[in-house]
Amino acid sequence: MNKVGRVWWWILAVGLWAGEVAATAQDSAVTWSHQIAPLVYNNCTTCHHPGGAGPFSLLTYEDARRWGKQMATVTASRYMPPWLPEHGYGDFADERRLSNEEIALIAKWVQTGMAEGEASAAPPAPKYSDTWQYGTPDLVLKVERPFTLPASGTDVFRNFVLPYPLKQTHYIRAMEIRPAVPQIVHHANILIDRTASFRRAHPAQWKEGVPGMELEVDTGNDFDPDSNFLFWKPDTPVLVEPEGMPWRLDPGNDLILNMHLKPSGKPETASAEIGLYFTDKPPSKQPMLLQLEHDAALDIPAGDRDFVVEDALRLPVDVEVLGIYPHAHYLGKRMEAWATLPDQKKKWLILIPSWDIDRQSVYRYRTPVFLPKGSVVHMRYTYDNSSANEHNPHSPPVRVKAGNRSEDEMAHLWLQVLPVNVPPGSPDPRLLLQEAWMRNWLNKDPGDIIPLYNLASALAAQGKYQDALVVYRHALALHPGDERTLNELGATLENSGDWQQAQKVFLQDIADHPGTCNARFNLARSDLKHDQASAAEQQFRTMLAQCPADATIHSGLGAALDSEGHSDAAEAEFRAALQIDAHDFTALYNLGSLALQSNQPQQAADLLQGAVEQRPKDADAHQELAAAYALSGRMSDAVVQLRAAITLSPANPDLHAQLSQALASTGQLEPAIAERKAALHLRADDADDWNNLGVLEARAGRIGQAREDFLRALQLAPNHAQARSNLQRLPPS
Amino acid sequence: MTAFIRVWLLAMATATTLAVDLDGRPVTQLAPPGSRAVVLFFAASDCPVSNRYIPEIQRLTRQFEPSGVRVWFVYPNPGDSAKVVRAHDQEFSITARTALDNKQSLTQMAHATTTPEAAVFIPERGGLHEVYRGRIDDRYLSLGAERPQATRHDLEEAIRAVLAGKPVPQPGGPPVGCSIVTLQP
Repeated sequence: MNKVGRVWWWILAVGLWAGEVAATAQDSAVTWSHQIAPLVYNNCTTCHHPGGAGPFSLLTYEDARRWGKQMATVTASRYMPPWLPEHGYGDFADERRLSNEEIALIAKWVQTGMAEGEASAAPPAPKYSDTWQYGTPDLVLKVERPFTLPASGTDVFRNFVLPYPLKQTHYIRAMEIRPAVPQIVHHANILIDRTASFRRAHPAQWKEGVPGMELEVDTGNDFDPDSNFLFWKPDTPVLVEPEGMPWRLDPGNDLILNMHLKPSGKPETASAEIGLYFTDKPPSKQPMLLQLEHDAALDIPAGDRDFVVEDALRLPVDVEVLGIYPHAHYLGKRMEAWATLPDQKKKWLILIPSWDIDRQSVYRYRTPVFLPKGSVVHMRYTYDNSSANEHNPHSPPVRVKAGNRSEDEMAHLWLQVLPVNVPPGSPDPRLLLQEAWMRNWLNKDPGDIIPLYNLASALAAQGKYQDALVVYRHALALHPGDERTLNELGATLENSGDWQQAQKVFLQDIADHPGTCNARFNLARSDLKHDQASAAEQQFRTMLAQCPADATIHSGLGAALDSEGHSDAAEAEFRAALQIDAHDFTALYNLGSLALQSNQPQQAADLLQGAVEQRPKDADAHQELAAAYALSGRMSDAVVQLRAAITLSPANPDLHAQLSQALASTGQLEPAIAERKAALHLRADDADDWNNLGVLEARAGRIGQAREDFLRALQLAPNHAQARSNLQRLPPS
Repeated sequence: MTAFIRVWLLAMATATTLAVDLDGRPVTQLAPPGSRAVVLFFAASDCPVSNRYIPEIQRLTRQFEPSGVRVWFVYPNPGDSAKVVRAHDQEFSITARTALDNKQSLTQMAHATTTPEAAVFIPERGGLHEVYRGRIDDRYLSLGAERPQATRHDLEEAIRAVLAGKPVPQPGGPPVGCSIVTLQP
């Protein structure tokens, strides 16, 4: 009876509103043309237009008149426009919320007979494209086999896999999702499956979609956290990423489209197209999705009306919070998230007083929310597992725990954060966030392999190898023989310098799991690094036969072949790598070096420029590029590259010597002398350097200095022919 | 629960046309002789909640017609012309009898306000007694408050009570959906 009581109360409230309006605004007539059309066009028609996601159109006066009574009812109850967050607890972009005055205006319009007013005074109706709202995409992905949604029944959660078909990496600046029948889609989430793990886990089923509300994917071996919320809801068909924050798709990636579908009364085709818009610019900012959760605490007794689940995470770095995505299933009632700042002040991130999974959304802040290092982010969710919760999937209620079916529960809070104020030279701040996240997770689930593995990886990536090894070994003690953990243990041993032990671990991993690609790759790389090129070649060739097409396998094989002296075969492999990933550093760098060796400096420069773009902090790449420029006669470009290399590697005397040469050839004698001296400061016994310094001193007119330099060269290398001849050519002092 | 029975006498003998079928012919007989109950399902072709109930009404039709229950889809809104409704019936594979309530006589007879909403009548002495009017089930509590599935099937319970000759239970909450559009004079 309680439920019915609430409904009646709510209808009364509508009446109350109308009464108030009548009392306060007596004279001014409310008409479609003057007040209602602008309001509807600003707030309603992005969904409510023909072909839009709303169930009917509100574009014309006749449309609005048809639905006037509903408009008054659903705006008064704030069912429409759909907007869950409480105003004033976080300031969100695109807040889709009517003011009390606007709601009163609609009520009055309906109450006074829905007059049109002067038709010519109405603003022109907005126009909506019946194809792509954002223009023709660079790439369109389609659900391979549409799913037929039954005419009736409970809502359906289904995951469609859309393999990324291209052989090159692309950065995505915008995405548009076009469901075949938008009216049946509550919302949709897209996950990037870097390793096609979900498809491989459902080989027979993935084409027609896999049921389920939540899913887990394997993120691969590199630290490559998700960076962007890829969330579709009816009023937001196009997701445009902020400047500098595109996301990435690599060959072999899958997109997983997780759709929440609502039966319409007739069988419907559940399908969708995803339009992707590319950019050439790699991201200049690296946001990260960070999670608070406490699923382990979800064990909600039947009938419990106020079951609370909490989590808290201390931030190890300064961040800006860009967006937030609270998530629970049908029992969620109230959601709160806030940060406690280092000065103990409370900053609200979001408050949802009455959760409704059907209207869930990602919320983006109007301006980023700055949280200094040491802030603690809190989430506090309340669940109602009584029959008073109309969303309760169980009647009568039963005990509910965490799980990925819709009738299970979840307690998740995702944040999109951008680390800021990063001190120069410090590790990737996302690693520190990852470390904090995983330690927090382990506090809740100490034996869980995922946080153990991720924590160790985050430590290793920061160069804390010994700490990482402790965690990997602990993880292996709890989960003996785990393929990935073994592989990462090996990789960390290799990085810590113990490569013999590392190779033993890789070999053990390969013996236990002959199909492994990871351990083979790492063993091959280790072989390559430790002058075992033919062993490396063998591993890479095995991988080409049994692992997914991957640029790094081809470029690794190329490097092995190059070391063995097979430069033609190596070149073919490098080119194969670039076919798959035009940004593969190893291939760009080595092909550039090969071009340099075969005296094609222009081609070398093009390739090496690409290599430098991929790894701007690689001194060797700058040095090779400088050589390519020098051979092409572009001396001042060579000087720039050599200076960049010296900044990265100041103790390399070759770089100073080469810079000296480049400077001298552009007539900058004194700087050239200074660089030659810098080289000699690092290697005082190099006869060539002394000879070259002598030449520069002589050209500068300092004959006495030059003589001393040539004599020094001859002292170090008595048979140095050039120094002898230079000495003889000097005019008498 | 006490049964609340509103009596409405339908003068079948008068020439008044209650509604028309999709070919424009007057519907003169809602309940053929021998019927034990008439169910009017008030529908709107453009109302999403109404459409979502079509499979449920078709289920009830299949289940209870053999027991003498006559089910009608009634379209009361002026925009639901014969052409629109014919297309809609085809789209949703509706096989039940359809009436266009072009004068809203059936709407007034049943006191219906909303689509979807159902009314149940018992034929009695040449007239029809309304014994139930309201929601189909409790899936929707209001627009925006929806259960994953219904826990109480109010209309089905009412039909069963009629067939069993028992007092008819009344709806446990208001109908939820789209207001029936008022006819303009």
